[in-house]
Amino acid sequence: MIRYRQIHKAFEEPVLAGVDLVVHEGEMFGLFGPSGTGKSVLLKTTLGLIIPDRGDVLLNGESVFHGDPGALDRVRRKVGYVFQHAALFDSLSVFENVGMGLPEREIRRMPRQEAAKRIWEALEIVNLDPRLVLSKLPAELSGGMKKRVGIARAIVGRPDILLWDEPTTGLDPVNTAAVERLISRLSRELEVTSMIVTHDIEGGLLMCNRVAMLTAGQLRFCGTPDEFRASQDPVVQSFAGRAGAEAALDNQLNVV
Amino acid sequence: MESIGSTSRSVAEHAGQIGGLLGASFLSLVRWKVSRKEILNQVYVMGVQSVPIVLVTAVLAGIVTSQQGGYQFTGTIPLYVMGSIVVESVVLELGPVLTAVVLVGRVGARITAELGTMKVSEQIDAFHSLGRDPIAILAAPRIVAGVLVVPVLTALAILVGIYSGLVSANLTLGLGAESFFYGARLYWHSWDLVYSLTKALAFGFAIPLISVHMGFRTQGGAAGVGRTTTASVMFMTLTVLILDALFPPLLLQ
Repeated sequence: MIRYRQIHKAFEEPVLAGVDLVVHEGEMFGLFGPSGTGKSVLLKTTLGLIIPDRGDVLLNGESVFHGDPGALDRVRRKVGYVFQHAALFDSLSVFENVGMGLPEREIRRMPRQEAAKRIWEALEIVNLDPRLVLSKLPAELSGGMKKRVGIARAIVGRPDILLWDEPTTGLDPVNTAAVERLISRLSRELEVTSMIVTHDIEGGLLMCNRVAMLTAGQLRFCGTPDEFRASQDPVVQSFAGRAGAEAALDNQLNVV
Repeated sequence: MESIGSTSRSVAEHAGQIGGLLGASFLSLVRWKVSRKEILNQVYVMGVQSVPIVLVTAVLAGIVTSQQGGYQFTGTIPLYVMGSIVVESVVLELGPVLTAVVLVGRVGARITAELGTMKVSEQIDAFHSLGRDPIAILAAPRIVAGVLVVPVLTALAILVGIYSGLVSANLTLGLGAESFFYGARLYWHSWDLVYSLTKALAFGFAIPLISVHMGFRTQGGAAGVGRTTTASVMFMTLTVLILDALFPPLLLQ
């Protein structure tokens, strides 16, 4: 379970202004909102990649920011993070990139063959043929393949929680649908708690058990996909309608 | 007044961050978290690959010193003094400083651009998210490699600079090797070499430290990488020149 308690964060201007949110164990949770409303900032606070000015995050009851000095390391071992643009290490091969997802302590004790097997399996889970990609550098991969390698790196350490930061951004409709199917399947098969930040509202509503919407640094809506669709809140309606229209336009442009 | 305040804040911020980076790098070294393979890789990239440009610079520095000395002093002082002028100029100043300036451009700019790109493309965040320490992986090996390679490159530059100065003096002034080294020995102090290599050590420490620090501070996409790399080169060049100015009162009294 992830619990965000009164998260405040300002850069030059306030981005998050007291966000309280709970993501339950085993849940697939979607976070929507216009650009610049702090969705990715909130996701990054989960792992301490961004430190909030005030507030705390609790992962399975353990405080990320107010716990003992080793809390952050323990938290990071439990969580897999999928970055918006994959964030693969340019100078490392796919094998080495995915291998970085194995916890450092485990690698020291793990026989080399066992590590290779785990990397191989992670690539197969994300529908990549290890024989074709293992030795390639990120620059030699397509956008969709990079995302899959990023996902393989996030799951190879067998995390309890998966965080997805706009995983379909920059993909064509075919790859978007494929990655969304992959996200649903992984969350189900790996029995992890997932939180996904996405602009693809339709995809998010299909994948998630619950969704929330952030506007102006605060939670505007939190509920089931059906409640989101039926919401009478004009801001939610307007965002859902506009985002749907933009997604349709994106799809048309991509098809053309 | 406001501009002075903002500059002071910025200097204090840089100093604090560099101090933090230095402390964290030192800790990762003490805890044996730094990969020896990565240090060797950086020694190759920063040291071995820089040899050609350092040697070319040293050859030209030796030739120019010798020719300008010849132009200024012929007919006024004995020619063998040229040996001392070339050797002392190359050992005390040109060898370490020109090597450092070349490395600012070749190594420092590269480190800032590389780490800056990693920062804006979230690769540094990815290290954190995977429970890896980017300072142990990226910063410490570069700082250790800088400290190791810059004195060696400087020693090479000194040898080559003196030799090229000797050849140039011989070809343009007709000064033989024996007279050249006679003049060099007249004003030679062994401490000068220690001074020169200590200076090189300080430059080898400062260049990777500043370039890594600036790389980690990068923000704002490709334009941000460009801006930070330019600022980093200016920052490193100024640091080299300021350190160079601080060394004589500290070590040549």
